[in-house]
Amino acid sequence: METMNKRIATYINDNIDEILKNWRIKMEEEEDDRFFQIMSNNIIDNTVREFGELMVSSLTEESSTYTAKLNEFSVQVVRYGWSISFVLKALTNFTEVVYEKMDEIEYLNEGDFQTHKEILTNWITPLNHSIVDAYSVVWEKTVSLQKIALQELSASLIPVFEKISVMPLVGTIDTERAKLIMENLLQGVVKHRAEVVLLDITGVPVVDTMVAHHIIQAADAVRLVGAKCMLVGIRPEIAQTIVTLGINLNDFTTTSTLQKGVEQALAMTNRAIVEVNA
Amino acid sequence: MMTRIPILKLRDCLIVSIQWELDDQTALSFQEDLLDKLHTTAARGVVLDLTPIDFIDSFIAKVLGDVISMSGLMGAKVVITGIQPAVAITLIELGIRLENVVTALDLENGLEKLERELED
Amino acid sequence: MNLRSSVDIITEWDIVAARQLGRNEAKDVGFGTVDQARITTAISELARNIYLYAGKGKIEIRQITEGNLRGLLVIASDKGPGIPDVRKVMEDGYTTSGGLGAGLPGVKRLMDDFKIETVLGEGTTISATKLLR
Repeated sequence: METMNKRIATYINDNIDEILKNWRIKMEEEEDDRFFQIMSNNIIDNTVREFGELMVSSLTEESSTYTAKLNEFSVQVVRYGWSISFVLKALTNFTEVVYEKMDEIEYLNEGDFQTHKEILTNWITPLNHSIVDAYSVVWEKTVSLQKIALQELSASLIPVFEKISVMPLVGTIDTERAKLIMENLLQGVVKHRAEVVLLDITGVPVVDTMVAHHIIQAADAVRLVGAKCMLVGIRPEIAQTIVTLGINLNDFTTTSTLQKGVEQALAMTNRAIVEVNA
Repeated sequence: MMTRIPILKLRDCLIVSIQWELDDQTALSFQEDLLDKLHTTAARGVVLDLTPIDFIDSFIAKVLGDVISMSGLMGAKVVITGIQPAVAITLIELGIRLENVVTALDLENGLEKLERELED
Repeated sequence: MNLRSSVDIITEWDIVAARQLGRNEAKDVGFGTVDQARITTAISELARNIYLYAGKGKIEIRQITEGNLRGLLVIASDKGPGIPDVRKVMEDGYTTSGGLGAGLPGVKRLMDDFKIETVLGEGTTISATKLLR
């Protein structure tokens, strides 16, 4: 087995330029691959060469070295935006090119079924698996990082005056986010000792019954910890949907803009903004 | 083992700070003690501080709600202070809104609020 | 590590014991303060239901893993009269005890997953899960 791997590796190494050239032609024939359309030639050349080296490395090097190389390559490929199907196609095409070449010159002189099967089970199948694995690990990591980024972005309470804080809400609110918003809101109220909090929904695209329900719950909870919750940034279309859906926000102070809300919040805490003559 | 919750009097207000997790018996005897104290001292307001409490279930919530209604019948206003975020969230999710309860962030705010309410 | 623990609910004091156990287990799994309060409250409600309706029963708390998430499974079981109309007890505001009626629908909202098995005359088992996200 060892020798078989070595032979293939030697062969690929000896003919690397030609194999990569053919492989690249094959890949460019695939329609729709953004990689070849938007990437600079330089990057393509490098990536193609790294891919070739990775193929050889899978045959000859210690598994730890190969795994390290594979992970590095996967990270890069995900960053370039290769899809998993594109990566698999690349792999298939690469092995096809190698096969074709080897057949052409009858490099594997005992070119029987057994040999082909060995190549398949010992090289290509594990290679496929490891690439899919590495790719999905990188992908999952990316997704979870983005999820964290989204959570960090989702809700922070900003103290604007003594006793008054604002929480701007941006984007769609689902149940999980609503829970997080509620926690941040309440912890912020206690931390900043806010007596009035303004929930600004200017950046929330849709307010349906579910979102309204979460907002009402949050306001109720704010009341329990000892502060008042005001809903600001209600756009005309939001006002329309709220009334059409029969959502009752009568217990709330609501205003159309954050500015008006802040004025009201100041009034609630017995303060006002006055102009000072120069 | 029965623990009684101390009830302090400050001018015409009673101040209660609940420091331990409430079991049913303590909650019920607290209800009795507070009403007795309201009766004997003729206090007009109560501040009930829950800062150290890390959870309230429906039973304790009911006892608290009842205490507030009963105090109201005896002519005293109750302000609850220091409900922790986690407690507020759990109460709301349980479906307990404590609708007519006056709340404040902490004891200090609570006393101020109570004074204002009593002036009206 | 003992991943399983339980409290027999016979007296009112056992309700306190059950929720203390729940709080410790929740802390141990690594839940934040809000989830600790959710779990403690849910256990308190379930234990009280046992005490009020079945007389005696058991609260069992298990640390679990689902996929790659850790969590807590709370099982409240009794050999009481059973629940005649499960749909009705899951309605908000329904109560037979003069409490606030927050009971089971409230517990369901506090936890992630909630199941009731009940047989009239034989008893009730309620399992509720909370996962650490």
